[in-house]
This record gives sequence, structure tokens and C-alpha cells, in this order.
Amino acid sequence: MKHAFIRNNYFSFAYTGLKLFFQLAVMLLILAVIVFYVSRLTPGDPLQSFYGDAVQSMTQEQLDLARERLGLNAPVHVQFTKWIEHACQGNFGISLRYKRPVLDVVKPLLGNTLILGIISYFFVFTLAIGLALVCARYEDKWIDRFICKIGTIAYYTPAFWLGVVLVLIFSINLQWLPSSGAYDYGKSKDILNWAKHLILPVAIMVASHFWYYAYMIRNKLLDELRKDYVLLARAKGMSKMSVLVKHCLRNIMPTIINIMAVSVPHIISGTYVVETVFNFPGIGLMAVSSAKYHDYNLLMLIVLITGFLVVISSFIAQYINERIDPRIKGTEIITL
Amino acid sequence: MNTQQSQILTPENQGYCPTKEDFKLVGTTYQEQAKAQQQAPAKRKFRNFPFFSAAVLSILVFACFFSSAFVNHDPTQFYLSNLNTAPNKEFWFGTDSLGRDIFSVLWNGGRASIFIGITSTIIAASIGVLYGCISGCASTFIDTVMMRIAELFQSIPIILALLLLLSLQEKQTPLSISIIIGITSWFALARIVRAEVRQIRNSEYILLSRHMGASFFWIMRRHLIPNIISAIMFIVISSISTNMAMEATLSFLGLGLPPEELSLGSMLALSNRALLLNTWWVIIFPGLFLVILLFSITQIGHIFRQENCKGFSNL
Repeated sequence: MKHAFIRNNYFSFAYTGLKLFFQLAVMLLILAVIVFYVSRLTPGDPLQSFYGDAVQSMTQEQLDLARERLGLNAPVHVQFTKWIEHACQGNFGISLRYKRPVLDVVKPLLGNTLILGIISYFFVFTLAIGLALVCARYEDKWIDRFICKIGTIAYYTPAFWLGVVLVLIFSINLQWLPSSGAYDYGKSKDILNWAKHLILPVAIMVASHFWYYAYMIRNKLLDELRKDYVLLARAKGMSKMSVLVKHCLRNIMPTIINIMAVSVPHIISGTYVVETVFNFPGIGLMAVSSAKYHDYNLLMLIVLITGFLVVISSFIAQYINERIDPRIKGTEIITL
Repeated sequence: MNTQQSQILTPENQGYCPTKEDFKLVGTTYQEQAKAQQQAPAKRKFRNFPFFSAAVLSILVFACFFSSAFVNHDPTQFYLSNLNTAPNKEFWFGTDSLGRDIFSVLWNGGRASIFIGITSTIIAASIGVLYGCISGCASTFIDTVMMRIAELFQSIPIILALLLLLSLQEKQTPLSISIIIGITSWFALARIVRAEVRQIRNSEYILLSRHMGASFFWIMRRHLIPNIISAIMFIVISSISTNMAMEATLSFLGLGLPPEELSLGSMLALSNRALLLNTWWVIIFPGLFLVILLFSITQIGHIFRQENCKGFSNL
């Protein structure tokens, strides 16, 4: 019996690994194809961002030569196969704007974005679960309605506008917090300085995201409260809050984990906006500017990193769910 | 069941027999009570109707479309001698860094934003419902493939997809931007429609319809859409506000409408410059207008929200 269990486990491990690899490869390939072809269709000359204003004074031969050197004159599918070939060897090309390998451009920025994303992710879900519990405990009382109203307003307030208003209040008029960047010049090792720069961006991220998830968890909890085991637990004399936390929250954990996985692209979208508002050096800001300046190679790498994060997170969620609740296999969750 | 036979009360063993006056007649108003009980949900719905939001929304929309009657400046005019004026008697909401009167521009901008919100929602809803219905009615294999495709697109961060599509065109117009927002926001809707269609696609009335030779579009129009409309109405209406916010975000990032196309987003695109000049009115008024608009649209949408937790809580 024990033997069979171990073999089964090994098999499932290899199977999950293979599935992950396959999913990742397919997802990244499709993303790469779409982004590559769409970005080549865009009007505007990539040479403009490479040479700047010098393009105007160049002769036609010089332009053709530059195109050939950068590999921009071949048909799109040839360019694409070439790009794939190089990418498999870990060479993602050079940034047309920064004239450095794109990996070098992105590497320092990726850390900043991950810090911002992970801290906001943590706060968003702590707040969402906490508020959902409070709302479910006091269902339809004034506190529930009040939180619902505030949450709806926070969710529908555009994140960038909230950011601009907070900058206007806290950094320009009160001068308490810095308005842009990830750290002051020359203070990149100072954690306090980092934290000071992160307060406003994280606040915006949390304000514009928590309610979406809190509301979903709240509704799920309210559904759970209609079940019979809650009555039994209450009849045994458990307090309301401990029924919620010890029984209901545990039972809807797979849903929460699924929501957390689905939220990854939303949070990444959020960091794009917040980074632009606060001029925060991260890959979101870089993506917006590289789309503006036709910096194809850079955009491709950012897209691939994003796709990688999304697939990995959804896979982790699926894996955890199958572990904590074997019934979950093959079921799917639909969120907005 | 009670097995013990109860003793029959007679004047002999008890000494007292209840007369007709001791009984109370009940249930004479039963019919009316039942009727009142049936009407109760509708009444409750009416009580929850967001009158305030509806009033605010209708006033704002009405004002947007008839703004020329009451604005005191030409919204397309640049008052170059009055750049960045604080709110005063002549310029009620002040002027921005291009010298435009914010009060007059606001209503025109609101009109464009409402247009973008509604158009993009119509596009997204039609694609989503059609895709969901096809996927829900198709065979298992096609259904799986179609849903995988929708999932794949849904997992791309939406801003990234919009970035790519927006860069296809040099200059944006309200119509082009609403088409782009529309074709990037239907995935979730399609998945919900598909789940609903799956539940009802084997109902007798649909089977009967198919046996009588009804085409797919007939079934979709007569049977599927009327059945799923209540499930998606809330999502569709609240996506009007999401799309309006998205347009504002894109214009703010410098990818959406150019400043000469008046919309709330292109007005807010000037807010970065306003931060440097510390001109709060350029930021606050259009943003507040947008937030009030979005919130009241969402409140209207809440009428159509399905109450998924019926019955009493066991807590």
C-alpha cells in the first residue's frame, strides 16, 4: 500500500512538471507570436528611437544599411524565427533605445516591480480577507453597508487619479512623502528611504484593488453561512467569529487561492499604471515607454516575463488546491 | 404520532363546555395576506432603488448633452491670457495650462467619455455573448479549445494588450479607442455566458426548438439570451464604468486620446503638468466628475444584481 502511494506520488510529480513545462511553452509561444506580429504592424520607425533626430539627416543608403545591421529589413517570419533562435540561447537582442542588451536594461527594474507587486499583493489580500470576515459577521448591518459603499467608491476611482491627488496632497502641499522614483539619488541601500518611496504607490495599489477581491470573498462566505454545519457549530456554542474563521474560511480556502491566482494579471496591470504615475523605475513604466518608442526587443522581453509570472502563479494555485482539497481536480472558477 | 387518545371534553367530566364565543375566527383575510406576501419582493426592490444615484446620473447625462445651453465659455477656445487661472467668477472651475475653461470643457469631455463607455460595452457584450453562446452549445472539444483561448487572452494583463493595440494607430479617435477597449474586455463575460448556457442547453424547450429545425441564431435570440440576460446585466452595466475609467487611464498614460479631442481622460492627461504648477483645480474637477459618474452608473447596475445568497444566515 505504501509502495503504491509513493509510486503514485512520483508519477504525479513528473506529470505536473511536464504539464507545467508544456503550458508555459505554449503560453509563451502564443504570446511571443502575437506581440511580435502586432508590434511589427505598428506605424512609426524603430530607427527613429535608435538614432534619435539623426535619422532626418541620414541618406537612404545609410538607412538601408542600418536596417540590415539591426535585422529590420527581413520578412517578419524570418525575423521571428531568428528571434526565437536567439532567445533560446538566452540572447534577447539589444534595446533600440538604450543600445544595451535588453536583459541588462530589465534586470535592475524587475526587482523594483517585484517588490512593489509583492508588498501590494500581501496588503491587498490581508485587507480583503479581513474586511470580508467583518462584512460577513455583520451581514446587512450598518458596518457591512458602510464598508460596501466605501469599497465600491474605492474600486471605481481610477487609480491614476487617486495617485495624482495623493501626490498633490502629501508630497506637494504637505511635503511629507516623496512623489516619484524608488529611492533618492545615492541612497539605494537605505531601506527607510525605500519604504518612504513605497508608501504612496502601495497605498494606491491597495485602494484600487482590495474591494474586488473582498467582495468576492464576502459573497462566498455568505453562501457558506447558509450551510447546515454553521448551525451545528453555533448550537455547540462556538462564537460567531470563530465559526467564520475556523470553519467557513477554511472551507472557502480553495476559492480564495484561485482568486489570488487570477489576481496576478490584475495586480501587474495595476503596477503599470502606478509606476507611470510615480515615475517608479519598474518594468511597467518601461513597457509603456517601449511601446511608445517602438523598442520591440524590450517589449517582447517584458511581455514574456509577465506571461511567465502569470502561468507560474496559476500553476502554483492549482497545485496547492489539489493538495488541500482533492475534489478540486478539474473544476474551474469563473471570476469577473 | 400521538398514540394517547385524548379525553373527550364533555360537561359531565369537566363541568365546562366551550361555546361558540370562545373561538376566534382566523383566516378571513388570508387571500389579501397572501397577495401582500407575493408583492413584498417587488416592494423591497423598489425600496432599494438608488433614487439618489439615478437622479445624479440623469442630471449629469442630461447636462452633458445639452451643455451648450448653460456653459459660459466656448469649450474649443484657448484663453491664452488666462492660463492656469484659479476658479473665479468668470472661469467657474478655473482654466488649465492650455487656457481652456474647465467648466465648459467638462461637459463636452463627459459626453465623449459616456460615448466611449457605452460603445465599448456594446462591442464587448456582443462579442462576449456570441462567443459564450457558440462555446456553450458546441461539442466538448470545440468548447474546451474556445475556453482555453479566452483564458489565455484573459491572463494577459489588460494594459499590455491595450498598449499593443493602441500603438497600431497613430492618432486615436473616440470610436477607435472604444473599439480597442471593447475587443479586449469580453473574455470574462464570455466565460460567464458559456457557464450559463451550459446549464440550460439541454432543456426541453431548446431540444424541441432544435427538432423543429430552428437555426442557432434563432435559439440564441429566443431562448438563450432571454435566459442569461439577468445573470450578465450587472456585469454589463458596471463594465460601462470600468471602460470609462480605462479610457481615462489610457489617455493619462499618453496612449489614448490626444489633448485636442475633449474627454475626461484627455483633460486628466494634463494633470502631470498641473502637479508641477500646483494647480489643484485642473486635477480635482474632472476627476471628481468622473468618479461621481462611475459610481452612479454602478449603483444603477446594482438593481440588476442577482441576489445569490437567499434565505436566512445560520450564523
